[in-house]
Amino acid sequence: MMDRKREEKLLNPRPGGRIADARDYGIDLTQLVENLRLTPAQRIKNNDAAVNSFRKFEAAVRRRKAEQKATD
Amino acid sequence: MNNLFKVTQLLAEAEVKFVIVGGVAIRGHGGNYVTEDLDICYSRTRENLKKLAGVLAPLTPRPRGFEADLPFIFDWTTLQHGTNFTFTTTMGNVDLLGEVKGLGIYDDLISQSLRVDLDGFSANLLSIPALIIAKTAAGRPKDEAGLKVLYALRESEIDDE
Repeated sequence: MMDRKREEKLLNPRPGGRIADARDYGIDLTQLVENLRLTPAQRIKNNDAAVNSFRKFEAAVRRRKAEQKATD
Repeated sequence: MNNLFKVTQLLAEAEVKFVIVGGVAIRGHGGNYVTEDLDICYSRTRENLKKLAGVLAPLTPRPRGFEADLPFIFDWTTLQHGTNFTFTTTMGNVDLLGEVKGLGIYDDLISQSLRVDLDGFSANLLSIPALIIAKTAAGRPKDEAGLKVLYALRESEIDDE
């Protein structure tokens, strides 16, 4: 679990720091805050869930393309 | 279905000596990195190779990119004949690293890792500073975003008072 000070650092990064650099690069710092509120186990399980969701989505797109090709 | 968490659990319960490195480690530290691979650095003692093979064998590992119709025999001696392996398994991709660039072998990594509780079991997670060293040493453009996240996480946990 995350302490408030760490959360505050991520949500209001000091100018010129590494957190500000990550934000400017395009890293969504609110996602880091959300992840840090979870346990390490939950974070890893969420990774599995994300990968499985992507794969289902990819499979659905492939099916749809195949259906379209068949009807063309 | 990917279930890298379960693979980690199986390895830990079999008392395999390993350290989680790579994307799952970044995720474990709170990064928003999504990865399809479980990368571990493992001890290459004979006993550990046997334990590791015992866990992975039921998951029918095959080298990634290997032709499906080519025979492949997996047991502990397979691991003895190489150092780094990239496997597909029934629970997702598992990459075995005998050595991590910039850090060394398992014995070097263990002192740079944290023992983390994973809901009923524990495993060694490479520390954020060590992940930064490894990702920097790898020098891959695809790691750029991961490095930004790691530096941000490290800065967030430094006590600056």
